[in-house]
Amino acid sequence: MILAWLMVLATGLLIFAGIATAGPITFNSALPVSEGVGILRSQVKLVSKTGDATALNRNLTVTAIPLVLAYGVSSKLALFGMLPYVNKRMDITMGTMRIRRRAQGLGDGKLFARYTAYQVDHPGDTLRIAPFMGLKAPTGRHDKRDAFGRLPRPLQSGSGSWDPFAGIAITRQTLDWEFDTAVSYRVNTNASDFEFGDEARLDASFQYRVLPRSLDTEGVPAFVYAVLESNLVWNGKDRLAGATDFNSGGTTWNLVPGLQYVTGRYVLETAVQIPMVQRLNGTSLEIDWVWTAGFRWNF
Amino acid sequence: MRILRAALIIAMLSITPLASLFAEEAANQTAIIQVDGLSCPFCAYGLEKNLKKVSGVKTVKIDMKTGKATVALKPNTQVDDQTLRQAVKKAGFTARDITRQ
Repeated sequence: MILAWLMVLATGLLIFAGIATAGPITFNSALPVSEGVGILRSQVKLVSKTGDATALNRNLTVTAIPLVLAYGVSSKLALFGMLPYVNKRMDITMGTMRIRRRAQGLGDGKLFARYTAYQVDHPGDTLRIAPFMGLKAPTGRHDKRDAFGRLPRPLQSGSGSWDPFAGIAITRQTLDWEFDTAVSYRVNTNASDFEFGDEARLDASFQYRVLPRSLDTEGVPAFVYAVLESNLVWNGKDRLAGATDFNSGGTTWNLVPGLQYVTGRYVLETAVQIPMVQRLNGTSLEIDWVWTAGFRWNF
Repeated sequence: MRILRAALIIAMLSITPLASLFAEEAANQTAIIQVDGLSCPFCAYGLEKNLKKVSGVKTVKIDMKTGKATVALKPNTQVDDQTLRQAVKKAGFTARDITRQ
């Protein structure tokens, strides 16, 4: 249980990686997925956590590669599926030994639907509001063992639970800039006597077109956006066999500078999540940084 | 008389291709759609794909700056405005004015 809090935020990042369309890098936007159009998206995400104040001197590294498929059922309704590959590695001091525990494989997948409930279009300008809801599915293992016994639940590649979530995304996009915000809540349920704390998020993103500086060329030129995002994430405390783990959960606020290269067919992007505030419960490890690089492809 | 007949044949031969060219140009049509809400290159692909799905559409050219989609139609085909508007709507955008050339 002492490790229980360690992966909560990382898990949240994995299962709520930004999805589809151009737009924010770390969360969902309200931009359209055209009817009959598919979007494939993938990212590589590296999470580093160090600075353990206890004798365990825990270091945690998570590598996640979520694969996202989006499809426009109609001009208003889009469906999204996400399946991540995860590699979690933790180094711990036990007595005089330094040991490594790790889990790798499929993480928990996610299915959700998004509906554009409000849309106002002007030349080169759009405002959209789109609620979304879905379910996180336990496609990752939650019973993996190593030489030291069963891995702690937060170190497993999956949670074992079916977790519903819902939220709303708002996007205002012009030819020069874009602003997105999203609020969401996920109810984490019990699986095999363990329940991760719920998660609430408030995200915002501002993207400014830095290239081309003026739209002189005809056609569809590639855009380069400078991106600044903000993630405010609250995680509730975990529960094991009905008892609360006071070394889990908390609130973090990240600032996320990034860059995006956007063409008609694909997007390349990278960003670094820098923790500005981390109010974590108990002996929780703090995040050093999260680095993300990814692409999106229209087909 | 022979010279006159030869000149007439040459004149007819030279005019016929031009006439057919003009006829083809007359049959070709271009629709220019003012699309509202189009503000990012990645979203433009969905618009292009949906317009190209319309039967009778030959090529689609989108200009981000003006928000105009120039749709060239195949010769001797008719595509009404409503069909083009519907394709733009399916892509998630709003068609405002449609002009023909």
